[in-house]
Amino acid sequence: MTTIQERIQQKEGIQPLDVNAEVILETRGLAKHFELAGGFLGFGNKPTLKAVDGIDVVVRAGETVGLVGESGCGKSTTAKLLLGLEKPTAGQIFFKGEDFTKMSRAAKRDYRKNVQAVFQDPWSSLNPRMRVQSIVAEPLQIVTKMTKGEIKARVSEVLEEVGLNAYQANLYPHEFSGGQRQRIGVARALALNPEVMVLDEPVSALDVSIRAQILNLLVDLQKEHNLAYLMIAHNLATVRYMCHTTAVMYLGSIKEIGDSEPIFSNPLHPYTQALISAALPSHPDIEREEIILPGEVPSPVDPPSGCTFNPRCPVKIGDVCEQWAPGLTEEETSHWVSCHLYGDAKERFDAGEAIPAAAVEDDA
Amino acid sequence: MVDSPEQDRVESGDYSDREDADRDGFGPSTVQDDVILELKNLRTYFQTSYGTVKAVDGVSYHVKRGETLGVVGESGSGKSVTALSIMRLVPSPPGYIVGGEVILDGQNVLDLSDSEMAKIRGSKVGMILQDPMTALNPVFNIENQVGEAIRIHQNLKGQSLVDKIIHSLRQVRIPAAESRMKDYPHQLSGGMRQRVVGAISISCAPIVLIADEPTTALDVTIQAGYLRLLKEIQAETGVGIIFITHDFGIVAKMCDRVAVMYAGRIVETGDVRQIFNEPSHPYSEALLASVPKLEERTQRLYSIEGQPPPLFDLPPGCPFAPRCEYAQDVCREAYPVRFEIDANHTASCWKLLDFDISKADPEELAAAQSVSVTAAAEEQLQEAEAVAD
Ligand SMILES: Nc1ncnc2c1ncn2[C@@H]1O[C@H](COP(=O)(O)OP(=O)(O)OP(=O)(O)O)[C@@H](O)[C@H]1O
Ligand SMILES: Nc1ncnc2c1ncn2[C@@H]1O[C@H](COP(=O)(O)OP(=O)(O)OP(=O)(O)O)[C@@H](O)[C@H]1O
Ligand code: SF4
Ligand code: SF4
Ligand SMILES: [Mg+2]
Ligand SMILES: [Mg+2]
Repeated sequence: MTTIQERIQQKEGIQPLDVNAEVILETRGLAKHFELAGGFLGFGNKPTLKAVDGIDVVVRAGETVGLVGESGCGKSTTAKLLLGLEKPTAGQIFFKGEDFTKMSRAAKRDYRKNVQAVFQDPWSSLNPRMRVQSIVAEPLQIVTKMTKGEIKARVSEVLEEVGLNAYQANLYPHEFSGGQRQRIGVARALALNPEVMVLDEPVSALDVSIRAQILNLLVDLQKEHNLAYLMIAHNLATVRYMCHTTAVMYLGSIKEIGDSEPIFSNPLHPYTQALISAALPSHPDIEREEIILPGEVPSPVDPPSGCTFNPRCPVKIGDVCEQWAPGLTEEETSHWVSCHLYGDAKERFDAGEAIPAAAVEDDA
Repeated sequence: MVDSPEQDRVESGDYSDREDADRDGFGPSTVQDDVILELKNLRTYFQTSYGTVKAVDGVSYHVKRGETLGVVGESGSGKSVTALSIMRLVPSPPGYIVGGEVILDGQNVLDLSDSEMAKIRGSKVGMILQDPMTALNPVFNIENQVGEAIRIHQNLKGQSLVDKIIHSLRQVRIPAAESRMKDYPHQLSGGMRQRVVGAISISCAPIVLIADEPTTALDVTIQAGYLRLLKEIQAETGVGIIFITHDFGIVAKMCDRVAVMYAGRIVETGDVRQIFNEPSHPYSEALLASVPKLEERTQRLYSIEGQPPPLFDLPPGCPFAPRCEYAQDVCREAYPVRFEIDANHTASCWKLLDFDISKADPEELAAAQSVSVTAAAEEQLQEAEAVAD
């Protein structure tokens, strides 16, 4: 008889990050502004919604980067940009150092093959009229020149890899439980042997007791294939479990990014601190002083000037916060934060220095 | 904020210095001694074309005034059907309450006529079903919506109704309630909308409030605000809350006691600390080990493989056996009897009786077998009875 604790000990968690691993995916100043219908009586400028407003992320082989933040902060839009489902308004995406916009047609095809996705809702993301065999085979048929026989063999192989039986290939999605359906989603993403998987809330729709099945499957697959993951989640504890690197988003931009451990044990940005303080405890004796933020997240159509968090920031340090947009600065090793509490922007501002046009890079 | 003393505490597991103090972070405990709701051996079955679904099969739990009971368990384990049974809102057919008692404020509600029950619903026992952010109707103003909830149960009109509406809104601390009540939902912030939903659920001063997963779809900060509101209402009114959830974080933050359900039965109950510190049913232990922690990085989660059994075709014995690390032969033969680990802490598992059926009290053993037992277990049962005689 193996106890639950012994069973856990037998398995490995996420692998330590190799900082020298190849950079698979990188974004620089990536932005997506949606032009909304309307404008005043059809005249003048149409309002634009800044869903993603200049983000820089690096994802290495074998690394999981987590994107956290509240509803509407731009997580899914970032995912769609990386998947080529939305066109960036500004900024670039690099795949192994190559700029996507400058890629040849063949290289773009290669990119699409290498960057796969798993979505939140295993009920709506699988076509109910297709058998599992066809669902998993579809990307292989579209992208590769494999023969029918090869495709069939590959489908059985990936189904097995995600913990399903080959005979289940003949069933329809409704014949599976939620957890199994999410396994099918993972199998489909895995079929083309990608280097990156974009995981948009992969377990949020699942029963708590089966979430661990999928998270552990992702951990094991990453180890097996040295996969790079960009994982979106709003559950902070899940991010701490899965991610080597964590990026905290607010109103379309990254407020804090770096190694997950310092971010969770010593959050620097006032927004991250508030977010962690509000998260549910894992034990009844854990009592966090909750930092209650006034007001609500402002509209991304008309974001506040300066630091976009300034209207709600409990520790705002002065006018500099309303006028100078802080840039990301490396406050500790591998831990960047975008806030004037760090660095010397306040002194420079108070000394009457001219307003910088772009983000203020503090000398941390 | 995760400050460093807390970090130390998490790492060392030493919480001894905060035994009694403000332990849920919401102020002193509001639990009082009187039991206001008690379920005794409740059974609710559904008659379906594929068989009898034993959705609730002998559930007993109670709630005291000012207390919050968390009901946790896998999807389909019968949490909501239990709640609907308390409200007598189980759709019938196909659902039937086939046994047990639901004693609310000293009265078995299963004995009441439909019209008597209708009066109790909403007034003595209220239910928050939906996502609080979408529970309001966008075309009516707040006065109308809170007023409607009050009018269903109390014969108030004119100024006395308006006074009652204002009183309810003040109770959930909506500033300038007199003018605010003319607003429509879209004119209110998210936090205000939550407060209005809170006002509706307490407007008739229920003594028990059932919250069925009211916050699953919410953002962290909004969820935190809503939970805080529920606790405020509880501190003010002494309402007993049954919080149905999948989320052990909510249990840790909100609940005084916990009932863990699996396949239509309560498999473990205890004070919230007993459950977290010493989960005694393998399902509870597995569930707790399958959730990542925020305060420290979890090395590896435990994953409960497989799925819960279909409730219309329960095998004899412990329904968790196919997924249980500890299962032995006896587990597949007879449903485990309830074992008292400590005061207020019980679990139904053979492991706690060293997998020895003869250690079970024969009467309790017989009562636990709602499903037919195997011939082998039958024999052992008779032997056990003979020994007891
Ligand atoms: N096609 C679109 N047209 C206009 N606005 C859009 C479009 N897609 C997204 N948005 C807006 O962009 C912002 C970011 O949306 P996004 O879906 O990326 O948020 P998210 O962080 O994924 O939120 P959630 O946690 O709710 O999934 C939101 O304000 C959203 O309303
Ligand atoms: N109208 C019905 N007809 C037949 N079976 C039903 C009916 N309503 C519920 N059931 C069954 O009763 C069982 C318990 O359902 P219940 O809704 O109480 O689960 P739950 O614990 O609340 O799950 P969840 O966490 O998913 O809300 C399930 O197996 C369900 O299929
Ligand atoms: S820059 Fe100013 S307003 Fe923004 S988070 Fe830092 S202190 Fe707060
Ligand atoms: S009775 Fe047996 S199978 Fe059921 S939970 Fe206990 S050890 Fe596991
Ligand atoms: Mg999203
Ligand atoms: Mg339910």
